Amino acid sequence: MGINFSEVSFAYYVPRKKQKVRFVLKNINLNIKESGEMIALVGHTGSGKSTLVQLMNALLMPTSGEIKIMNERLTRKTKLKPIRKKIGLVFQFPEYQIFETTVLKDIAFGPVNFGVENPEEKARETAKLMGIEELLDRSPFTLSGGQLRKVAISGILASNPDILILDEPTVGLDPSGKRDLLDILVNLRRERNKTIIIITHDMEVVSRYFERVIVLKDGEIIYDGEKDDLLKKEDLYEKYSLDYPETIKLLRAIRKRFGVAIDVNQYTIEDAYQQIRKAFETGL
Amino acid sequence: MNTNLVFGQYYDSDSWLHRLDPRTKITAIFIILASLFLLRKVASLAIALAFVLVLILSSKIPLAKFLASLRAMSVIIFLTVFFQVLFNRGSTAIHTFDFTLTWLNLTFSIALLVLYFLGGRVFRKYRFLQFLALFFLVFFLQAIIPSPLVITKYSITVYKDSLTTSLVVVARILSLIFVSSLLTLTTKPADLNRGLELLLKPLKYIGIKVSVFSMMISITLRFIPTLFLEAQKILKAQASRGVDFKEGKLQQKVTQIVSLLLPMFIISLRKAYDLADTMEVRGYVPGADRTSINLLRFRFIDFVVLLAALGILSGLIALNVMKYAI
Repeated sequence: MGINFSEVSFAYYVPRKKQKVRFVLKNINLNIKESGEMIALVGHTGSGKSTLVQLMNALLMPTSGEIKIMNERLTRKTKLKPIRKKIGLVFQFPEYQIFETTVLKDIAFGPVNFGVENPEEKARETAKLMGIEELLDRSPFTLSGGQLRKVAISGILASNPDILILDEPTVGLDPSGKRDLLDILVNLRRERNKTIIIITHDMEVVSRYFERVIVLKDGEIIYDGEKDDLLKKEDLYEKYSLDYPETIKLLRAIRKRFGVAIDVNQYTIEDAYQQIRKAFETGL
Repeated sequence: MNTNLVFGQYYDSDSWLHRLDPRTKITAIFIILASLFLLRKVASLAIALAFVLVLILSSKIPLAKFLASLRAMSVIIFLTVFFQVLFNRGSTAIHTFDFTLTWLNLTFSIALLVLYFLGGRVFRKYRFLQFLALFFLVFFLQAIIPSPLVITKYSITVYKDSLTTSLVVVARILSLIFVSSLLTLTTKPADLNRGLELLLKPLKYIGIKVSVFSMMISITLRFIPTLFLEAQKILKAQASRGVDFKEGKLQQKVTQIVSLLLPMFIISLRKAYDLADTMEVRGYVPGADRTSINLLRFRFIDFVVLLAALGILSGLIALNVMKYAI
């Protein structure tokens, strides 16, 4: 098993006196496989998403409850490096962590720290995968924002983690940069059988690329399951504070306006178009 | 981790010292600090210390806060007294202590020292008191165990002068530290800065732009917590790239520190540029005359305090000039 949370609660600050503890996460039960999953972690700002992913690679320790990573129970004495090698976490705006003189050296920084063999070769491979080979010898400080993002993600990926977690990786990227990045993630899952977890607010991204969705609200998991089942729900906005993707919004509006029988859960424009055509050819 | 980080020592409470105008406080405290250097007798310094203690009590701040500010100075105080007693030879000897260094109590002493350093992780509190106890125990052992396996015998004579001098020094250091902590504990850093700015305003006539320096200090104070949070973020980001500050060889450690420092440097520079731009957009002109949103008001009590402080200082100077020993 990959990551296993049972009854995990977390508070940033536990007061000594008997005051009320403000838990950021409450009663989290979670199972994540070590390969082949595509998980989107969604929820309001301040719902505890970033805290949850930091627990996943032992940057934070749970206040109560038990976390097992790769079947190993996490305690204060657990060696953290092997865990962080297996579970790569890319922070929000990861471009700030870049410090080396060349892109190659910066990508190789993680592998060197984790004692991976041939770190430079790994770095080159990863750069090729991310499509930034031609940047390898340049100084990171001459790159654009989108390129830096790719360098930073390569830096984590180069250590070859089994599970890759990304905190809002698409924020601040242009549409093509965003699509490139998500395609790379899908390929990683398909070709190397990695588990990909991302935090996002973008329901288009969730509906088009992901299968399993975990919804956090006020520090608790209120939904964990198939994307399809979640998007079928009528009270998505009221109960989960989430929005429907554009295609579903459009199809729902058409259904309501014309009263036609229509399968509203389509995630691509092409599929939505087919549905509308079918409905109007037969229905009217 | 504690996210609501407060910079400086300021302790929030509601006392007359907290309400005093920062300009008054700064001036009065400098006057009192100066007066403390005019006192040379044990008795007068004792009175001064008592006066300072009354001020501390009236500030409604727990005494522990003041004692905490002693922590850094405790070693200096200890060394001062130690060397005074060892080397200051006066006319009147009080007592001569005979010590015998034997292998037995040498082993004891070393064992105690090792225990002291190993125990540091378990007994974290009152380390200085622990050290004092250890120090006296070492000499106590040498005084009461005169045999067997003698290495050497020696004696230390304590003179009256060395004791009075150390008392004077200790009392003066204590009062100095307490009085200056009184200022930092009762005044917010921003108020302190504003008060200093107004007090140093006349310097502009000799070409020093005080408002610019004061703005620099305010900005620094404002950005310390922000940069602290950024540092935590970078620290975590590098930790997930395998940085572990606890282990690694020296060369690795250097790289690891660079991996924290360099991003911090870049972030600070970027924030500085952004801030400079936003300040300019909002019409900030360096060195121009500007008003403050929090006006400082000089009240009756401020006059009283200033007069009292000046009275103390001039009184002491007068006594000194008239050759009274104080």
